[in-house]
Amino acid sequence: MRKLRHRCCSQLPKALLWETGGVGAQTLQVRPLSSQGSCTQPARCLPAAVVKPHPHRQQEQQFSSLDDKPQFPGASAEFIDKLEFIQPNVISGIPIYRVMDRQGQIINPSEDPHLPKEKVLKFYKSMTLLNTMDRILYESQRQGRISFYMTNYGEEGTHVGSAAALDNTDLVFGQYREAGVLMYRDYPLELFMAQCYGNVSDLGKGRQMPVHYGCKERHFVTISSPLATQIPQAVGAAYAAKRANANRVVICYFGEGAASEGDAHAGFNFAATLECPIIFFCRNNGYAISTPTSEQYRGDGIAARGPGYGILSIRVDGNDVFAVYNATKEARRRAVAENQPFLIEAMTYRIGHHSTSDDSSAYRSVDEVNYWDKQDHPISRLRHYLLSQGWWDEEQEKAWRKQSRKKVMEAFEQAERKPKPNPNLLFSDVYQEMPSQLRKQQESLARHLQTYGEHYPLEHFDK
Amino acid sequence: MAAVGSAASWLFRLRAAGAEGHWRRLCGAGLARGFLHPAATGKDAAQRRQVAHFTFQPDPEPREYGQTQKMNLFQSITSALDNSLAKDPTAVIFGEDVAFGGVFRCTVGLRDKYDFGVHVQNMEDSCTGKDRVFNTPLCEQGIVGFGIGIAVTGATAIAEIQFADYIFPAFDQIVNEAAKYRYRSGDLFNCGSLTIRSPWGCVGHGALYHSQSPEAFFAHCPGIKVVIPRSPFQAKGLLLSCIEDKNPCIFFEPKILYRAAVEQVPVEPYNIPLSQAEVIQEGRDVTLVAWGTQVHVIREVASMAKEKLGVSCEIIDLRTIIPWDVDTVCKSVIKTGRLLISHEAPLTGGFASEISSTIQEECFLNLEAPISRVCGYDTPFPHIFEPFYIPDKWKCYDALRKMINY
Repeated sequence: MRKLRHRCCSQLPKALLWETGGVGAQTLQVRPLSSQGSCTQPARCLPAAVVKPHPHRQQEQQFSSLDDKPQFPGASAEFIDKLEFIQPNVISGIPIYRVMDRQGQIINPSEDPHLPKEKVLKFYKSMTLLNTMDRILYESQRQGRISFYMTNYGEEGTHVGSAAALDNTDLVFGQYREAGVLMYRDYPLELFMAQCYGNVSDLGKGRQMPVHYGCKERHFVTISSPLATQIPQAVGAAYAAKRANANRVVICYFGEGAASEGDAHAGFNFAATLECPIIFFCRNNGYAISTPTSEQYRGDGIAARGPGYGILSIRVDGNDVFAVYNATKEARRRAVAENQPFLIEAMTYRIGHHSTSDDSSAYRSVDEVNYWDKQDHPISRLRHYLLSQGWWDEEQEKAWRKQSRKKVMEAFEQAERKPKPNPNLLFSDVYQEMPSQLRKQQESLARHLQTYGEHYPLEHFDK
Repeated sequence: MAAVGSAASWLFRLRAAGAEGHWRRLCGAGLARGFLHPAATGKDAAQRRQVAHFTFQPDPEPREYGQTQKMNLFQSITSALDNSLAKDPTAVIFGEDVAFGGVFRCTVGLRDKYDFGVHVQNMEDSCTGKDRVFNTPLCEQGIVGFGIGIAVTGATAIAEIQFADYIFPAFDQIVNEAAKYRYRSGDLFNCGSLTIRSPWGCVGHGALYHSQSPEAFFAHCPGIKVVIPRSPFQAKGLLLSCIEDKNPCIFFEPKILYRAAVEQVPVEPYNIPLSQAEVIQEGRDVTLVAWGTQVHVIREVASMAKEKLGVSCEIIDLRTIIPWDVDTVCKSVIKTGRLLISHEAPLTGGFASEISSTIQEECFLNLEAPISRVCGYDTPFPHIFEPFYIPDKWKCYDALRKMINY
């Protein structure tokens, strides 16, 4: 039964009904929602004036044209009689929250998260282990051992600072440059390598290009290549978490380039209107492949878009792991408590090339890259902090470098030796069950290989 | 998009209700008078409006599913959705305008029925708890992306795209994401509990953007299922199967049947299997294959063929477009030796091409005549020319006749 909001004819002067067509009386009484459906003559009633809830409320309103305030459902604002365009502020944009200076010293002691030594050491070791793995796997692509790789140089702080501020069961939707989140959640090197090599141990069964990691156990949704598609998906997952009273947040990572996609706009708007416990984490690293931010947007970055959607937003120094941690921690607390989205724009710099298919010297100077590598790097900033706390020293640094390299090399050699998965796995998981027509295709490949198998690299694949 | 759509649907609802006089009055007396003059009588006005190109044939009342109730197509959809919300506490329904009941009335009453005042940890005065049937912003890529996300957590997501004509912004999310979720993750993740419902097909006056049948675009996408019912009874069972299926499904609802198709439908939930075509009439001489509204067109063609040509037709409702039931169609063509496939969507690249290609591969030596496809022309769907565009019974009959005489 359809409930229309009726304004009973008996409430209006008859003359006005005839004159104006019934809407726009001197005084409109709008029935409160609780008395919906009680109109006895619905056929003669006219639809009530729209009582659009704004911002999140259903309320009774008394309309009167004698009252000079705006009545538009679409905005809650005052009139102005001066013609003035709002000037977007890009010279002095949203300020960048930081806790440490570039030398790793706490600036404002009240912002120090006072994290215990073990936790901060875990930050450091996650970032450096990731860095070491990146170097080795980048090289392995150059040597033709894996087909493709993407490094995370310079952005380790964004991954680890945010991952550390979440619960282990918070669901992560990433783009492709968030391996540090998995690293922080103790995803084994063996599995990173297995995915890059597409070997039998790959949880993804060898189906995707390298760095398209996924881990159900660690609540990290498998990466996909199309950009920004994860954004509205993360919002849906957050909505489901809210409905389930799961007390979980969903975090969604994306770059400043992906933020230009329609899916980003869709995700932001849905998260706000549907009141979802989600953290949108934008890694603004200055480049989308070769496209600098000056060609990606004209406004004040991504953080400035948040308020346009009604989303609480902050910009942080992405190379300051404590700033990232503090912002994510607070956003998580409030997102879950208040069921609303948060937008964190972490400013950072992509020190590496976009991928092994890219040579960034074609579009930026080596000097620029060196500045960030040497003068403003999340790992060295945290190391300075550790040193100043007396929690780390040169000897430990040397030992750790040796140990981490050894760990990576071992995993690497093991991954190289393993076979690839059985070619039958080409056909499974398209649907939960294999359709009969697809099974026929699988059988036809098997028959083909019986005759022509010598032309295929079967020796590298599991039997 | 939605504004024009709801205007179109408003007109459609009035027309389908058969209230000709009512329609003329509300169009604006002046306009109607000018337009209809000189032939301004009620009867002539009705003749100027096209009659439907088909007659809906209800199936006999089903006996095996308990008590039945007379329902039209949109009511059978509501019933399926109602059953789903009742059985599955994680199920949610969302899209443009679904909260008040939807532009085609498919979700009428559901929002209020399932409002148990669920506590929402939010501002005090927004605890309406209407979190199971809700409107989304006007954004199809958002609707489908959001639905995928819900399904990834294991909850049941039933998304509505207001008209199939507007599904294209969501094409990337459907093809690149939903369809590939399980495969690309090695079955770590999936969005099998996602179902997308959308009104589909010609409606008499829908023109380019309220008449499309886009099933062929999705047929080329392994990983999703595409299902199209011909009737209320079929719709409810197939929709319930889609919702419960562990793969993302697209369920296209022939909008011209929303009011026009009325039959007895079980009140309780029941399932009709996916990927199984139905032989709704056995025959010896020709196999006719169609889906959705067009099934009723070919039913009539079969009667015409019997009467005028003495030809016995086997009629198959394909029901699931992908993965499609090759075996049932093959078995039929092996018997009859002749195949005619008909759909409203344009000829080139339409799903009839896939059926034709597969059947000639599998049943080449059984064929007595080339496979015939009677489809829409390779044009956008026109407005005023709709009666000429659609593959009506005369075109189908003519093609059949040529096949018989081959």
